[in-house]
Amino acid sequence: MIFFEFAKRNLTRHKFRSVLAIIGIVIGVMAITALGILGNSVRLAASEQLYMIGNEVVVFPYGEEAVSEDNFKLIEKTADVAIPINSMTDKAVLNGESELVMIYGMRSEDIPKLLEKEDGQFLKHGSLNCLVGSRLADNYELRVGERATIKSQKPRIVGILKERGIGFDINPDNAIIVSDKMFSSLYNSSGYNLVVVKVDKIEDVEEVRKEIEDRLNKKEKVVLVMEMKMIVEGIKEFFNILSMFLIGIGSISLVVAGVSILNVMMMSTVERTKEIGVMRAIGTSKREILRMFLFESLILGAIGGVIGAIFGFGVGFLVDVLILKEASYLFAPSSILYVFVGTAFGIGTSVISGLYPAWKASRLKPIEALRYE
Amino acid sequence: MKVVELVEVTKVYELPRGSIKALDNVSASIEVGEFISVMGPSGSGKTTLLNIIGCLDMPTSGRVVIGGENINGLGDDQLTKIRRDKIGFVFQQFNLIPTLTALENIEYPMILKGLNGHEERGKELLRSVGLDEQLGENKPNELSGGEQQRVAVARALANDPDIILADEPTGNLDTKTSKDIMGLLKATNERGKTIIVVTHDPLVASYTKRTFKLVDGRVDRVGVFA
Ligand SMILES: Nc1ncnc2c1ncn2[C@@H]1O[C@H](COP(=O)(O)OP(=O)(O)OP(=O)(O)O)[C@@H](O)[C@H]1O
Ligand SMILES: [Mg+2]
Repeated sequence: MIFFEFAKRNLTRHKFRSVLAIIGIVIGVMAITALGILGNSVRLAASEQLYMIGNEVVVFPYGEEAVSEDNFKLIEKTADVAIPINSMTDKAVLNGESELVMIYGMRSEDIPKLLEKEDGQFLKHGSLNCLVGSRLADNYELRVGERATIKSQKPRIVGILKERGIGFDINPDNAIIVSDKMFSSLYNSSGYNLVVVKVDKIEDVEEVRKEIEDRLNKKEKVVLVMEMKMIVEGIKEFFNILSMFLIGIGSISLVVAGVSILNVMMMSTVERTKEIGVMRAIGTSKREILRMFLFESLILGAIGGVIGAIFGFGVGFLVDVLILKEASYLFAPSSILYVFVGTAFGIGTSVISGLYPAWKASRLKPIEALRYE
Repeated sequence: MKVVELVEVTKVYELPRGSIKALDNVSASIEVGEFISVMGPSGSGKTTLLNIIGCLDMPTSGRVVIGGENINGLGDDQLTKIRRDKIGFVFQQFNLIPTLTALENIEYPMILKGLNGHEERGKELLRSVGLDEQLGENKPNELSGGEQQRVAVARALANDPDIILADEPTGNLDTKTSKDIMGLLKATNERGKTIIVVTHDPLVASYTKRTFKLVDGRVDRVGVFA
């Protein structure tokens, strides 16, 4: 391809200028790739961390200390599954060390409906034993069969829970779970700190939430009803916007790079006016001139795009390892995609920027171009 | 057989200050194998005439037939193709393509046309204009003016055109080199190629067989040297 060869030689004619143009593209593509990977990694990390189940409705007390027993009865009537939960922050002694932890009191039969176990077994009805969250077990090297100390009680650890991540209902990873009976022997409580409602069909969530609000908040607002679905979607939306925002920032630097390519190509067409005149005179068509210049911007874009994507991937890797402390998000297909998105944007920007100068060059009138000095 | 036929060709340039008649009702016909010089004072329309014959410019009125083809009303792509296949240009400033080597410059028109064996033929042409094969590897800026003009002549011959058009081909050369180039053109003509040379130099004109004298855009006189 003679015109590809021309493009290559013309770019090496002004090496410094070409390198500058390429650096612009490299920076733009690097920004898009790195920021895209970063945004995506954060999103992946977040969705892994958030314990997301869309079919939960969580009822919190509003303006009162607890959801009363009567109100709980009302909730139970509307829902397929209603799980009352009490919670208290208290000191516990684990493996000889004292630590402030969350203590949840749940009906024994409810526990398997909300939590999964890693080791051991769940609590029997009215049990005076306990379960511990995965982080707690890790941090204090707790094993099934050992005992924890809460106040004067020494419940035996019969099970260790699976990691669950941050949830909006309860956060069991750093907590101790005891039965409702055990909880009331530890603390005198009336009512519940929250009620988790599980709805069978996700389409019914909205309706259940409404119904609970209608029934309980009749005279005055006594409960706050939160729909997990809404929260989950809000968070997803937030991370999508974050990703777009980061890519937007990357795109700005690419626009700058595009302008610099436009500038370089314009300069080059003006400088080469006479040469274009000669080429046209001896039988080069408009289309061929256009192609020659487009190849030039394509080469600039391709080199800049590939180098930029490699650097961007490197930066993404550093950020993932240093900030998120997890490199696996980097190799997720949705992250790798940004390597190609970045390259494509780089090539696209530079070809688009080259379009106008190339079109200008191809439209030069041969006799006028020949006369140009 | 006629290779160029001009019938009442007029070229008017419209300028803000008024219009300039660069060619005024010029009629002429040129036979295959002729060697013609075009002379006349500066501004008399010589370059304009050559540009029209070379399909680089369109007359304001009049008919132009090149190699049997009427070029009036042809589109840019068709004119480009005529320039590529039927016409060879030699310029005063040599006008080789700076990014290409001497040999590549000669090959270029053949590559445009899509001919095979362009490298072989390129080398042959290089030899035929009296240049060493080694010089073929040089870029134009590594050649002397005379050498560049030889390469330009070889390039003009590449696609075996009907006509060679040369606008002051010796204008940038010393007398000795001018004679070399004219000798080259003469030899080319003797092998049957039609050549039109624009010049101010009577010595150059003396190589040709017929001279058109232009004055104020009109053919003043057609002389025959032979
Ligand atoms: N593109 C143009 N626009 C306007 N006027 C032009 C243009 N080209 C040529 N002319 C005018 O047409 C006339 C003929 O010009 P042309 O270049 O053909 O002369 P020439 O005989 O080649 O002169 P020289 O010997 O100086 O090269 C001149 O008056 C010139 O100013
Ligand atoms: Mg002239």
